[in-house]
Amino acid sequence: MKFLTMLQSSASISFSEINIVRKAALHLLCSLSLVAACWIAFRLYSWSLVTHTSETLGLLLIIQAPVVIGVYSLVRQDAQKTSYWRAVARGILGLPAGALVMAFGAIVLGAPIGSRYLKSTIYWSILMSLFTFVPPACFFGSSRVDWHRLLAHFRPKEPLDALVSLPAYGSVVGAWIGAWPMPLDWERPWQEWPICVTYGAVTGYLIGTLASSIVVLFQRPAHIKGD
Amino acid sequence: MVNSSLSCRRLAALTSTAVLLQIIGLSLFVIGFFPVKPSVPGVSGPESYRMPTCEDLMEAENENLLPDQLAKIYTDLSQIPSEFDRLIFMVIDGLPAEFLLGRDGWPPEKFFADPMPYTQSLLSERRAIAYHAKAAPPTVTMPRLKAMVSGSIGGYLDVAFNFHTQAFLEDNLLDQFQLIGRNMVMFGDDTWIKLFPGLFKRYDGVNSFYVKDTIEVDFNVSRHLEVELVATDWKLMILHYLGLDHAGHIGGRHSSLMASKLKEMDDTIRLIHTQNPLKGDEYGRRTLLVVVSDHGMTERGNHGGSSYEETDSLALFVDLRAESPTYAPSMDTEVFQVDITPTLALLFGVPIPKNSFGILLMQACNSLTDEHKLRALELNSWQLLRLLQVHLPRLLCQSLRDSTGDDQVLQSNENFGNIKLKLHNLYSKAWAAHSVWKLFSGDSNLTSNNSANLNAATESYYDFLRYGSEWLKHRSTDKPIWWILTGVVILFLSSVLLLCLLFLRIKDHDFERKFSSSLRNCSHIGQLDMAFVSFGTLLHIFSLGSSSMVEEEQYTWHFLTSTLCLILFFMTIQSFLKENKTFPFEMKSEKKLDFDQSQKTHISAFTSIKHMTLLKPLSACGQISSILIVLICGRVLRGWHQGGVNWAHLPDISKWLDHGSSSIMKTLEITSLLIVIILSVFSLNLIMLRARCVLIASLGVVVLGFLVLLHIMEKQTANRSTSIAPIFYFSSGVIMFGTFIFSPWILPLCHHENILMKKSSNSHSSAVKSEDVLFGIQKSLYLTGVMYASSWCLLQLLLQQPVNAVPILLIFVQIMACIIYFSANGLYHRQFIEVAAMHFLGMAGHFSLGNSNTLATIDVAGAFIGISSRSMVFPCILMFIITFSSPILSYLSMVVSISLKDIVSLSPSDEPDLGHVLEVMIVFPCLLPLVLNSAVLTTSTIILLLMRNHLFVWSVFSPKYLYVCAETVSVYVGLFVVSATVLYTCAVFFFRAKMLLRSAD
Repeated sequence: MKFLTMLQSSASISFSEINIVRKAALHLLCSLSLVAACWIAFRLYSWSLVTHTSETLGLLLIIQAPVVIGVYSLVRQDAQKTSYWRAVARGILGLPAGALVMAFGAIVLGAPIGSRYLKSTIYWSILMSLFTFVPPACFFGSSRVDWHRLLAHFRPKEPLDALVSLPAYGSVVGAWIGAWPMPLDWERPWQEWPICVTYGAVTGYLIGTLASSIVVLFQRPAHIKGD
Repeated sequence: MVNSSLSCRRLAALTSTAVLLQIIGLSLFVIGFFPVKPSVPGVSGPESYRMPTCEDLMEAENENLLPDQLAKIYTDLSQIPSEFDRLIFMVIDGLPAEFLLGRDGWPPEKFFADPMPYTQSLLSERRAIAYHAKAAPPTVTMPRLKAMVSGSIGGYLDVAFNFHTQAFLEDNLLDQFQLIGRNMVMFGDDTWIKLFPGLFKRYDGVNSFYVKDTIEVDFNVSRHLEVELVATDWKLMILHYLGLDHAGHIGGRHSSLMASKLKEMDDTIRLIHTQNPLKGDEYGRRTLLVVVSDHGMTERGNHGGSSYEETDSLALFVDLRAESPTYAPSMDTEVFQVDITPTLALLFGVPIPKNSFGILLMQACNSLTDEHKLRALELNSWQLLRLLQVHLPRLLCQSLRDSTGDDQVLQSNENFGNIKLKLHNLYSKAWAAHSVWKLFSGDSNLTSNNSANLNAATESYYDFLRYGSEWLKHRSTDKPIWWILTGVVILFLSSVLLLCLLFLRIKDHDFERKFSSSLRNCSHIGQLDMAFVSFGTLLHIFSLGSSSMVEEEQYTWHFLTSTLCLILFFMTIQSFLKENKTFPFEMKSEKKLDFDQSQKTHISAFTSIKHMTLLKPLSACGQISSILIVLICGRVLRGWHQGGVNWAHLPDISKWLDHGSSSIMKTLEITSLLIVIILSVFSLNLIMLRARCVLIASLGVVVLGFLVLLHIMEKQTANRSTSIAPIFYFSSGVIMFGTFIFSPWILPLCHHENILMKKSSNSHSSAVKSEDVLFGIQKSLYLTGVMYASSWCLLQLLLQQPVNAVPILLIFVQIMACIIYFSANGLYHRQFIEVAAMHFLGMAGHFSLGNSNTLATIDVAGAFIGISSRSMVFPCILMFIITFSSPILSYLSMVVSISLKDIVSLSPSDEPDLGHVLEVMIVFPCLLPLVLNSAVLTTSTIILLLMRNHLFVWSVFSPKYLYVCAETVSVYVGLFVVSATVLYTCAVFFFRAKMLLRSAD
């Protein structure tokens, strides 16, 4: 199924020049695949994040990773210079690097260390890396100018920045907010690490993709004026 | 030249006004909210044996009766033969009832039950009855003793008076005993002597504050038993054993000292129980042994809060004469600690104290006949009615006597909206049931039927008593609303004032920055840290409204601090990227770079000198690594003590170390001590100073460190060490104060010989001069600050528990790394963030030292290290120092951070005046912590006010509030030291510069 969607999108994009609307549509694809992964986990295996934390996270990864890497590599910025597979390779390299950064951040912020949480921490950080690091890695490669512009401005300077920056910021902020209920004494199973953080991250990511789609679709005229 | 809307002097005046307002508001609120005692004056007399009527509020008869006459009157009036004649009231400090009775229907743990075979056998043979007597928070000795003898629950702030006890003036059992001429003896905790001065015929007080001692305190009590148990002149003997509480404080519930202590207590009970002269005299009178504990203890042996473990105290009644089983089998009954008072009063034929909320413990009165039992309940109800009448005037003024009859008994217990009506009805129901029972008991034919009536009467009496007692307990938190509201308004005003000052300051400061440097990078992310500080503070403030967030505040602080550090990390990476990026095509940024360059060359004129004196600016890598150090240390600190309430049982490093061998602990302690010494000496030597000063300072640090080392070694060998600590206190005081006083005088106004030579030729001499003065100030401040911080750390290494040695080191490293990080770019505009970050680090460190928002985590044992006098002032100060070590360390380190600010390039004029330099240096470090703290203080005040009827107000919000108050004090102390140091140093240097100029002229 994922292959199909990939093929479809590649077909639709390769025909014409890269189009803003299509770029916005890739968000839809990523969001849909995320939702689909949750649905599959729930329907096929009757797993949920609360009962089978690491399994569900793993499934999400397996479905989400090819979609994100594939899709963002298609819309890579330097399409003339770099080949599709080079972009894919960049994404695959970016995945563990980003996961390391995310895991470091999570542990520093108080994520539990221990063999019990090891698996879910790894899966969670890879998922976060998919939300944050992999898209720009595929999109920009190692261009320092672009990376800096991306990091330095919350409000995207160029319309395409929003494509990668807003979902990434959204998922980080969402995960940060999602951690707040963890110390409370409600004794709910979802207060475990990393369940509510994942909920927060996914919610933030979805909101971010929505926001970035809107920005990409509607800010374009303004940008032209600016030019 | 700068259009500053607030001069330094006005700023200082306004800030002090705000602080003063804050103090006034806080005192008003505290006095209003924590009433010392809502008690009824006077003593219960013979009138308590009469039924209260509508107007008998003021009918106390002031007859001067002889004690014997009074005793006889009481016996006649009460119509209950006093079953017991002598009372042995044995208080075992800190013994949880769980040790004896188990919990939730489970038998007690073997570890606790095995050392107490005799007491267990008493219980199983039904010769004693025991209760879980729930103590009211705060679970500290003195308020609990008061509760047991007076039956009332004292004001919350009694905990503060625990350190200097005052005589107890309320109506209580002991005074009642005294009135009827009973002799009393007391052995044990001298709190009793302070509460009841001159009441005891013989006494031997032991001080409850020598926590390290578990043997001597109890021996001093038990050595009297041999003589006193055969003596016949006393009617009440109080034995207060402190050893168990001390054993708990030292090693927790499962400490190795605990079993032997329990055994000792069991032996004492056996000794008393097997003592023949107590079995009763020729009149058939008997002795009652009551074993109680004032409070329980947590797993780690602390107390003060309101968890089940702490409030679970014991009440054990042992009938010494009884040959046969007297009591019902002990069940898992939970009663209140205050219930002991009316029970004892009724058993010993004295009036129940006036303010008692207690309810008669029926099973403890099993020796009474049914008639007497009901009479006892009636007397208890009358006493409670009298107390209720004080709070609810005209309570019984409806026609009570008319409402008799069976129908009243059978009437279903409807839920009356009106409390008065409800109480009235409950009482009349009980009264009616009692009358019915009396009516039938006269008739011998109907005795079989009468047990139902007895039960009905007992039940309805208990219904009334429980309801009334509950209502009174809630009522006792009545507050003078005007004081509270005024206090809140004043607090609010002061924080608004402080906040306005801060905003004005930031505005001025922005203006200044724009003015002084054309370079201003106004990217959005530049403000991210500032926005986060405000947002995080707001989040923290709001989290104070939730009881579970208050309980788990350590997570909030750690989360906020780490996030701030991550944001700084992120920003550093960003600037790192910026430095290396090249934009050949963008004009704007080229311009920017130009400005950057010009600014750099501008600064480099000064840094040529600066490099010689202060820290070299770090590279981006250095910055990144220092912030990484802060982050990693923070994470280790978070894992050190789990803290809080709900997740406190989860494993953490401190528990692991506690279970490990002591050699590991000792190694860690000594290692961290050595690292602290090395770091301090290293940082002292970082600045280029006249070698002699640094040498002396380093020597001072090494000597202090050596003293701590000696202390640690001695602690391992002997259990008590009192010899080293006082020397350390003295020498650290001398060294800190000496550095403060002398460093501005000794340190050179650098190169002044050169300047004097230049002066003749160079017309710009005064400018160069002013720089020299500023550098001198900076160096002197640096020296003082490092000495402050390192002596403080060494002091903490001495005072804190061994397990906290590494956290102290980590906090020190964190704060130093933070200072180094911020000194790297040396720019003034980050001072706001720097001060905020240090405040955050201090607060996160406070919790990572094992502190929490319950009173139980205060380290009482540490407060007596090296204290030999009996004064309570020093232990209080030490306790404060231990508890707030981390915030105060962060404030003291602000002296270092101030010294590393690049004030030279920031001083806008060539000839700086004292006021301006001070403004540049200390406005943010003083104003920001005050603002942050006042925000927390005001919010918790308002929250406490709003939550006054919340279930957790006394267990969660009030302790938190006490912590916030103490934190406010720590902020005041820390900032006072900072501002005094800076002020003094600047003043001295300016004075010296003036003198030098004069002499040069």
